[in-house]
Amino acid sequence: MPVYLPIAEMSVDALLLLGIGLGVGWLSGLFGVGGGFLLTPLLILIGIPAPVAVASGANQTLGASVSGLIAQWRRGNVDARMGCVLLVAGLAGSSAGTQLFVLLKRLGQIDLAVSLFYVVVLGTVGLLMVRESLRAIVRRRRALPARTHQHSWLHGLPLKMRFRKSRLYISIIPPAMIGFGIGVLSSIMGVGGGFMLVPAMIYLLGMPTTTTIGTSLFQVTFVSANVTLLQALQTGSVDIVLTLLLLTGGVAGAQFGAAMGTKLRGEETRALLGLLVLTVAAGLLWGLLATPASLYLMGPAT
Amino acid sequence: MPQDRVFLVVVDDSPERAVALRYACLRARKSGGRVALLRITEPVGLQEWAGVGALMQEERRQEAEQLLSALAAQVQEITGGLPTMLIREGDPVEEVLGALEEDRRISILVLATATEGGPGPLVTALAGRHAGRLRCPLTIVPGGLDDSELDRVT
Repeated sequence: MPVYLPIAEMSVDALLLLGIGLGVGWLSGLFGVGGGFLLTPLLILIGIPAPVAVASGANQTLGASVSGLIAQWRRGNVDARMGCVLLVAGLAGSSAGTQLFVLLKRLGQIDLAVSLFYVVVLGTVGLLMVRESLRAIVRRRRALPARTHQHSWLHGLPLKMRFRKSRLYISIIPPAMIGFGIGVLSSIMGVGGGFMLVPAMIYLLGMPTTTTIGTSLFQVTFVSANVTLLQALQTGSVDIVLTLLLLTGGVAGAQFGAAMGTKLRGEETRALLGLLVLTVAAGLLWGLLATPASLYLMGPAT
Repeated sequence: MPQDRVFLVVVDDSPERAVALRYACLRARKSGGRVALLRITEPVGLQEWAGVGALMQEERRQEAEQLLSALAAQVQEITGGLPTMLIREGDPVEEVLGALEEDRRISILVLATATEGGPGPLVTALAGRHAGRLRCPLTIVPGGLDDSELDRVT
């Protein structure tokens, strides 16, 4: 059942898109994540141009994050002050990232850049995930990860601020740097960045785990909204037909995933997620390295 | 005086928990027996990073331990003895029933009703749909009782 995507300027099977939305939505419900880091590369792999894939990924992340944020906010798990510091930096980062995106697009290198970003980031994340869960499967009773509470150079920075909800008194520079970095990644890769933000907040900032998930969703929601908006305005690459199909599948999948989340065994599911991430990264890498079927192409120069 | 009677109080985050705890303490002091505290922590769910999940579990457990030791001091003040402390993870109703099943020393479960908007989820479930699965008597304390009234009824 092919449909024509007006912005991507190509025809794709509508059922395939619904299926991708369903699968990614299922995973995002299961793990409580945005799912953009799988959706965007999958779209690129089926041949959607990178700018459209990134913009749609950001949009999908936004949809998935809003409902999570509302639930966390009601339970009082959002550190609004920390969230605002992250968010201001995140908005700056994502705006800067979008400018970089526009520049790369003008140079004609955007597809290569997005793929490279994904190969590096997904490769690293996938390897870490697989390693972590393999280790956990091998010895189920392993020592708990040590949280570093000793003073490092991070504690000597100026501009200290008290974050009451997270019981922290730290400089706002490290959270601002993290927020900015995630913002840049968010705009170039079309991800929310929660999968990197949460460990960064726990291990680098020393936040308690109760507030990290809610606070990261706070940042992710508004940053992905900003990215979607900027992408729509500056590159005009948000495809309404595509996002509509993906979101339809995504909403249904997320319900399934959330219901199953408590029943599955953690380590095995995580190992599978890690392998899936690695497979996608390998697929993108292959796309970069393989010799194209036709080396020369006739058509109008872009 | 029977010393082996144990009053179980479920420590949740509701305001009526204080009433149930005070009732159990006073009963234990006046008629003999001990108090047990049960805190049920929410399961962590699936996290992308195993380390994060493990850390969450650990922090919830620590939080529960802190809360219970603070309440244990209150119990000791009234009854003169330290309470038994239980921490379980999962669905509140199922875990209360599970605790009663596993710890045969518990003789009475003490719950207090919420003062507004229904009697509260635990009372509703344990006095209603799941009442048949209880294996010890259940005492329901009106959540609106003040300290002098609690003194009188115990």
